[in-house]
Amino acid sequence: MPPKKSLGAEYLKGLWDENPVFRQLLGMCPTLAVTNAVINGFAMGLATAFVLILSSLVVSSIKKLIPSQVRIATYIVIIASFVTIADRFLAAFFPPISKALGPYVPLIVVNCIILGRQEAFSSKNSIGRSLVDALGMSTGFILALLVLSSIRELLGAGTFLSYQVLGSWFKPWIIMILPAGAFITLGVLLGLAILIETKTKTRSS
Amino acid sequence: MSLSARMIVVLTVVGLVSGSLLAVVGLLTKDRIEMNRQQEIQTAISQVIPSTKTSQKIYEDDSLTVYESRNESKNAVGYAVYTSGTGFQDIITLMYGTDPSLSNIKDLTILEQKETPGLGAKITDQEAFLRYWKNRNCEQPLSLRKPAVDSPENLDPSEVNTITGATISSEKVLDIVNASLERLKAIKEQGKLSSEEKNAS
Amino acid sequence: MKQNTFVLKSSPHFRDKDSVSKIMYTVVLSLIPAVIASVYFFRLKAVLIYITCVATCLATEAVFLKVRKKDLRSLWDGSAIITGMLLAMTLPPSLSLDLVIIGSVMAIALGKQVFGGLGYNVFNPALVGRAFLQLAFPVAMTTWIPPVTLNVNTATFATPLGNLKFQSSLTQGALIPLKDLFWGNVGGCLGETSAAALLLGALFLLFRRVIDWRIPAGVISSLILFTGAFWLAQPDSYASPLFHVLAGGLIIGAFFMATDMVTSPINPLGTWIYALGIGVLVGLIRLFGGFPEGVMFSILFMNTFVPLINRYTRPRILGERRGAS
Repeated sequence: MPPKKSLGAEYLKGLWDENPVFRQLLGMCPTLAVTNAVINGFAMGLATAFVLILSSLVVSSIKKLIPSQVRIATYIVIIASFVTIADRFLAAFFPPISKALGPYVPLIVVNCIILGRQEAFSSKNSIGRSLVDALGMSTGFILALLVLSSIRELLGAGTFLSYQVLGSWFKPWIIMILPAGAFITLGVLLGLAILIETKTKTRSS
Repeated sequence: MSLSARMIVVLTVVGLVSGSLLAVVGLLTKDRIEMNRQQEIQTAISQVIPSTKTSQKIYEDDSLTVYESRNESKNAVGYAVYTSGTGFQDIITLMYGTDPSLSNIKDLTILEQKETPGLGAKITDQEAFLRYWKNRNCEQPLSLRKPAVDSPENLDPSEVNTITGATISSEKVLDIVNASLERLKAIKEQGKLSSEEKNAS
Repeated sequence: MKQNTFVLKSSPHFRDKDSVSKIMYTVVLSLIPAVIASVYFFRLKAVLIYITCVATCLATEAVFLKVRKKDLRSLWDGSAIITGMLLAMTLPPSLSLDLVIIGSVMAIALGKQVFGGLGYNVFNPALVGRAFLQLAFPVAMTTWIPPVTLNVNTATFATPLGNLKFQSSLTQGALIPLKDLFWGNVGGCLGETSAAALLLGALFLLFRRVIDWRIPAGVISSLILFTGAFWLAQPDSYASPLFHVLAGGLIIGAFFMATDMVTSPINPLGTWIYALGIGVLVGLIRLFGGFPEGVMFSILFMNTFVPLINRYTRPRILGERRGAS
């Protein structure tokens, strides 16, 4: 076993070193699908964070009870319960957001970030550590969605959180709020992430 | 405990706990979600028939729901028709209001659509599309004005405008409205479109 | 080692006098007739778009070469100039210049440099630029003006294919005379309207063997077969195959864009598959798709298959057994 990281490092690794979107390339489906507006990206990030944090707490607290043969099934049931709660909650209290996110809220169930964290982390670490890990991953995911959706909303509609930021001279690039724009933006951002990573690595070595 | 017994117990307990949790959440949110839906329909009805004071569902089948709307003095002022059909990409759900004789469309509103952002999605836009749907004569099926004009005055009373660059989405909305109007007229002929019996019950 | 009777060298063993820049400038030369035709039809607007496109493409290329610390001399290998010219030729004459600049930057940046520059790109860069503009500014990219020579006083104007798609019946004057289509006296993108001028340049390229004759032959014949079948079955509701060949961007696409050396297959068999695929796709999109024109998407779509086609049409090495991999 590698030496235990400090709790701070455990949190921070989700922001960059093991960022779910930019470094692990997990959760691509919501990343591409719902980042056409900042509010949607943020809501998706929060919903995913809610599910991830609670699932990690539950899984890490009952990890000793779960026989390893049925662990995936157990994780999925736990995750699916929290997803359904999030889905109902959004539909009840934030109907416009629920409508905008459409089928992607129920699809959080199959978001690899969540299952991945249970399998790779919560099932092997203490409750406290799992909580910190889940918080870090959630923050990293929310940040990634915010970056992506900010770029796409700004260029695709000239707005930020629906406020007109760019003047009337700006002609919105509609492609940016279409699926093609999601792929282009993500591709460019991933390229930049790798560039930054290699730059910092060569400097430190 | 043997391994298989443990597996069964753990899965059952996890399933039971999450099942009951979901049942509670479902109960707590059910009314609110239903209320949201009602509210959305109410808002849409008073949007397409502005003088609405009360409204009542008088007809419902797979493809169309009709609400009769009454004004303050309880006179029937028209029907609000809730219907849907295929758009360019996905189902478009809309509502429009007619007068009681089904000869005039007062207004139209789009409730759900997934048309192309910036193009077909302009069917939800007042300026580009919806304002051309006010006060249309619908004794005959409506038709689409191509190429587009830039003011409702330039349209014939039975014409609606096209969105530049999104002819297909405009056409689909028109098709949905025309199809439902035709059905609605047939239903009215058969005398099924009345609120009397429902009022009595 | 006492004697060196045989010298072992790695390939290439034969060198041609052709170089990248020589081929590129041959293509530039072959585009000149079509450029002149478009300037004749659309006047100053055409000149401005050509200058903007080529200048922006060169500037973008220079920035990327500089950032990637490459030799700046390859800026003048002609490839960026061709991308600029081809992009300009596929744009509507009424497009405002700021959008032209965005398209040119995207053509070089997204179409070429992100893949690693000339020779590594999967898609035809000019078409990537156009596809970006088409999806980003769909209204501006489908607003057409009549050529100056037509003497009609309307602000907007439909292309022959647009007419075909959006008019309900062929009898309502939807079909533009083939003569006008051939000379280019119709609405449409800058450089695509005049089949005559494009064919002149294409003949030159074929004569100089810069482009593979199989590609235009395959594209055009499969489009003729596809649209011809429908036309023969129902001449009243489908346009003639000749109309489909001459209208829209088919000629420029078949001769100048599908033939891009980097993004087309290597082997004759693969080339036929690629070309027939483009022709059939164009027919499918034009007859049944949502867009009036499909040349751009067809070529881009078949571009994605080129590596796969190359892989499966690899000729057997002499002596290699059939079925052995």
